[in-house]
Amino acid sequence: MSASADLLELETAPPATTTNQQGPTGTNNPRRVWALVVLVAVVVSAYSLGIGRGDLVNQGGWSMVRNFFAGALSPELNPDFLRITWDATLTTLAYASLGTALSVFIGLVFGVVVSQTWWGVGRRDGYGRGLIKRAGWLTSRGALGLPRGVHEVVWGLFLVNVLGLDPLVGVLAIGIPFGAVTAKVFSELIDETPKHAYDGLRSSGVGRVKAFAYALAPQAFPDLLSYSFYRFECAIRAAAILGIIGAGGLGYQLSISFSSLRYNEMWTLIYALILVSGLADLWSTTLRRPDRSRFLVSNEQVPGLRRDRFLNLSMLAFGVLAAVSAWHLQLDPATLWSQRARTLLAGIRDASFPLNLTVEQLSTLGRLALQTLAMSIVAIAAASALAVATAFVAARSQGGGEDPGPVRRLGSLGARALLLFCRAVPPPVWALLLLFVLFSGPLPGALALGVYNYGILGRLMAEVVENLDPRPVYALRAQGTGGVKAFFYGVLPLSLPRFGGYALYRWEVTMREVVVVGLVAAGGLGRLLQEQLSSFNYPGVVATLLTLVGLTIFADLVGSSIRRAIG
Amino acid sequence: MRNPIRRIPALLCILALFLGACSGGDTDASDTEEGIDNSAEGISIGAIPDQAPEKLQRLYGAVSEYLTAELGVPVDYVPVTDYTAAVGLFKVGDLDMVWFGGLTGVQARLQVEGSQAILQRDIDENFHSVFIANTASGLTPVDDVEGLSALKGKRFTFGSESSTSGRLMPQYFLGQAGVRQADFQGEPGFSGSHDKTAELVQAGSFEAGVLNEQVWKARQDAGQVDDSKVIEIFRTPAYHDYHWIARPDLIERDGGEFVERVKEAFTNLDPADPDQKEILDLFGANGFIETENDNYAEIEQIGRELGLIS
Repeated sequence: MSASADLLELETAPPATTTNQQGPTGTNNPRRVWALVVLVAVVVSAYSLGIGRGDLVNQGGWSMVRNFFAGALSPELNPDFLRITWDATLTTLAYASLGTALSVFIGLVFGVVVSQTWWGVGRRDGYGRGLIKRAGWLTSRGALGLPRGVHEVVWGLFLVNVLGLDPLVGVLAIGIPFGAVTAKVFSELIDETPKHAYDGLRSSGVGRVKAFAYALAPQAFPDLLSYSFYRFECAIRAAAILGIIGAGGLGYQLSISFSSLRYNEMWTLIYALILVSGLADLWSTTLRRPDRSRFLVSNEQVPGLRRDRFLNLSMLAFGVLAAVSAWHLQLDPATLWSQRARTLLAGIRDASFPLNLTVEQLSTLGRLALQTLAMSIVAIAAASALAVATAFVAARSQGGGEDPGPVRRLGSLGARALLLFCRAVPPPVWALLLLFVLFSGPLPGALALGVYNYGILGRLMAEVVENLDPRPVYALRAQGTGGVKAFFYGVLPLSLPRFGGYALYRWEVTMREVVVVGLVAAGGLGRLLQEQLSSFNYPGVVATLLTLVGLTIFADLVGSSIRRAIG
Repeated sequence: MRNPIRRIPALLCILALFLGACSGGDTDASDTEEGIDNSAEGISIGAIPDQAPEKLQRLYGAVSEYLTAELGVPVDYVPVTDYTAAVGLFKVGDLDMVWFGGLTGVQARLQVEGSQAILQRDIDENFHSVFIANTASGLTPVDDVEGLSALKGKRFTFGSESSTSGRLMPQYFLGQAGVRQADFQGEPGFSGSHDKTAELVQAGSFEAGVLNEQVWKARQDAGQVDDSKVIEIFRTPAYHDYHWIARPDLIERDGGEFVERVKEAFTNLDPADPDQKEILDLFGANGFIETENDNYAEIEQIGRELGLIS
């Protein structure tokens, strides 16, 4: 199991055990029940979005799509535009790095505060079973659910209404929701860290804060750090999406060039996005490579633990990047407590309540919630199907085994480039492209999220394939089994459960992301939110946000039930 | 065990660096404006992004240069990405004066008590939308509003969702002709801007669309309209549209004298002066005239009927 797999799974649930590959066999096999539920859900969702019901494709739009892709060969390279692109790249990087820095800071503070260790609950030795302690842990943990359930873009739209056109909006919009996710993961990492030293210090009368700093922090530190770099990779994608709603940077320039249909300019910006996210992916993957996972085992004394130059350099580089970013954006934290921000915040609060929802509004919310659910399901079903097919091509090796040969290596390179392209282009841009050939409505939005998640899932699944246990295939091949059969019996059964885990993890994330495509009129609750924001219907905005948070919680619950069943 | 501990100070250094850099930015940015009451010397102007961004940049670049010279204070143009953002930034006070459409203007005034519509172009008190069609669609020019029922069953696109001439008034006239949103083939599109509507219809992506008359004329004059591919099929009855709206603090500045100078600067735009002529040409107007809030009561009423104003 790769380090990255661990870290991703941690975001939603404890890692599924991979020992029980067979599963129980019986009529009430929960796996089969869930498989049926998922199948029905996918079919119903697809049908509800109009698939199989005529009039979906706008035949007139193909020439626009052809023109767009033709631009790939001749990106705009005049010096003025390259300067704009360079500046936009710096801005996107700046939002991403400062957003990450903030989220790590929030994660460190709240990660400790919401950990079971801090509250002293969840221990089998009877120590700390108190009701109050438990309540404290649950409350602090539940409080993180709200910022986590709201997408970065929604944070951005909200903060613009309080802080105005200020670079802090971009930093906070990434930092707050990412901080909540990071806090959750950090708390779980802390709870998984061996407690002997901590207990020792505590029982000899050392305070909680000191015991944490001396006994737990040093052990958990490498894990925390490598997760932080994974967050940075995500933050670059988030910064690009935020640009589209006006925060500046590559996403902003991309939407400007798109609105005048300047495809050549768009491609220059897309190449810049591909470069930046490609490098960030590479950086974070290198840090998390399995051969670096010695950091992940930390309770035994390792006398010869080498200094990790790459890790140290990475930290230094990130520090420099964050400092340069703050200078580039000219951040002024004083805006946060300015008179204007307080007045505007109070104004929004007063305008938002009471909610006073009518039956009609509630039924609209219900209908759009179902549509949002359907969009997320179709998006992930399409993305997973494509990703599974691509993962085996994209993987550089299968189960760490034989030399792949030049053809496979070329195929792998091509597949990786395709996946990178799909995840580097922000979902709203995919939605606008799809709106050329599909009638507006929820379907182009769902497919846009599908394309984007295909890029993310394909890469994660390829990592799974690369890290597979090679022994079953060796055994099959040694018995003279053919390549195809060995694949179906030795590779596929081992990878599918982990693929399923990743698909679920992305589904939960997608539920939040549906909002993003709604902002370009591609359906779901995001579309409603956009309309409510443009008519300044604050009670409506609050109701829609609560519905979205509800959907996120629902997805988390269903996701963890399925994971338990297939685990 | 020793090494990981040593990294803690490194992490603290990063945080310190981060915080230090933030507070460094503090002094840099102190010359920008801080709150609503403390209005600085200069003013920020904005506009709804109804046309291609490079056009907006050229137009409002020229406008801010002209106003800076006329008013003697720095005037900055702040570009925004969508109609809602223009209203939002006007509301929070980042934009002091904005070129709004009819609908966004009403929305903005409802958000900022005391703001006023001050100026419009000569063409705006008699504004029209133009329905256009791709020649391959078989649509032909129609004589009256009722004739718009020919659009039923066609692939149709509006402009921005908050556009007066690209959505609100067209939807109102379509309603009079008995055409509902569901009567189009598929769902109607929202292209985002008037220029994009023209391009999408000309390319055949949509069979028909609607945009504001001034942008349509400007595209014709610029030779961007291919008559063999796209034709005008209907020009709507007249209504009030675009206008400049100023925030209350701008209205009250220097006891009301400042806003009078803004009005003069616009109404004095002279076609005989080549620089000023360029501004008028980019606005597609012969001149500016004063306007008032009451001119947009009809727009507000239609906006409420269509649920675009709550």
